[in-house]
Amino acid sequence: MDWNLLGISFITVFISELGDKSQLAAIALSGSASSLRPVFLGAVSALLLTSLLGVWLGDVSALLLPIRWVKAVAALGFAIIAVQLLWVDGSE
Amino acid sequence: MPPADPAPQNSAQLEADDAAGRAEESEQASSATPDENTEAAKSMGGLKLFLTTFVTIFVAEIGDKTQVTTLLMSAESRAPLTVFLGAGSALILTTSLGIGVGRWLSKRVSTRTLETATGALLMIISLLLLWDVVTL
Repeated sequence: MDWNLLGISFITVFISELGDKSQLAAIALSGSASSLRPVFLGAVSALLLTSLLGVWLGDVSALLLPIRWVKAVAALGFAIIAVQLLWVDGSE
Repeated sequence: MPPADPAPQNSAQLEADDAAGRAEESEQASSATPDENTEAAKSMGGLKLFLTTFVTIFVAEIGDKTQVTTLLMSAESRAPLTVFLGAGSALILTTSLGIGVGRWLSKRVSTRTLETATGALLMIISLLLLWDVVTL
């Protein structure tokens, strides 16, 4: 197990999800819900499914494409996400 | 949240779908027999809440920056399981925090105010999603 990678993916996702749409939805739905278990199970299963789809697609594309392409696309993608995060933060 | 409409045939239909699809909810669904209307209505409410939450958050997260991040990390590191464990535990934690905040608010704010705030928040979420659709 690569603990570095585990920590990096945990911290990245944790920070980018704090105050994001899905967390706001969880707050809104649990505030007016009679029971919390369905909200928690619904939210967690949806989130785990989308991230499972994400890592699976990433793994498949890395198998199919040359490693240099994957690294280049990954670098570009991270840069775009970073610029978006910085731009959104700066404009608010 | 729209008011629940406990139609018996819908309930049975949804329970059948649910039993086929989701193990974690099947315990709740099977505990409601057709004779006990209140039990069925309660289970229907839970099921409806589960499905509402699931669909809302699934749609909100598909193609969102978190999913793109996990995709890129998995492709770059070639360790999808590790990335999934890191991302998954972070998502469980943010959801727990969100639900904690929601519950904390529901104890301090009146139901009416909370429903108005919930409506406004869900409206904002739908606008954010529309914005994603426009800018994609």
